Amino acid sequence: MAKPPVRKPKKKVCVFCKAEKQGRPEPIDYKDTALLRKFISDRGKIRARRVTGNCSQHQRDVATAVKNSREMALLPYTSTAR
Amino acid sequence: MARHYEVMIILDPRLDERTVAPTLDNFLKVVRDSGGEVENVDVWGRRRLAYEIAKHSEGIYAVLELFCEPEAVKELDRQLSLQESVLRTKVLRRDEKFIAAVRAKAKA
Repeated sequence: MAKPPVRKPKKKVCVFCKAEKQGRPEPIDYKDTALLRKFISDRGKIRARRVTGNCSQHQRDVATAVKNSREMALLPYTSTAR
Repeated sequence: MARHYEVMIILDPRLDERTVAPTLDNFLKVVRDSGGEVENVDVWGRRRLAYEIAKHSEGIYAVLELFCEPEAVKELDRQLSLQESVLRTKVLRRDEKFIAAVRAKAKA
């Protein structure tokens, strides 16, 4: 008997909400490329919310920050590093 | 109403880095004359661009923090856009909450 694949979705907590709760909020700044790089793939695409585990508000903040960053050539629109 | 603004500028890499600060100061006259305040001028220096802009692979970055009327920034941005040596500009409005968060982070 084939068992249906059991998935245990690990509930991720938004890292920014967590930081806020601990009383030291992490500002989402388009100049902070080290932080933003965690939220883009190696191709330069913005990672989906189901991957990053961000809440909708913070995911939106990250997305705008990445887009602003791209406009100022701090992050690539695309990177063909393969 | 005066507000906090942040202006990022990418300058032509062929410029001498020592002349950058005086040049920027010249542009900031508009802000000062209108009664605005220049809170901070941060010249990052030469930095690699993530992609080419006008055939340049490098640029001199500078970040200005202002507290002034919207008309003053608008005029500043217009004047910057007329300059050949300015590759790109970005004006952002920063709210108190964000500034507080950045300051708290810098202190930690």
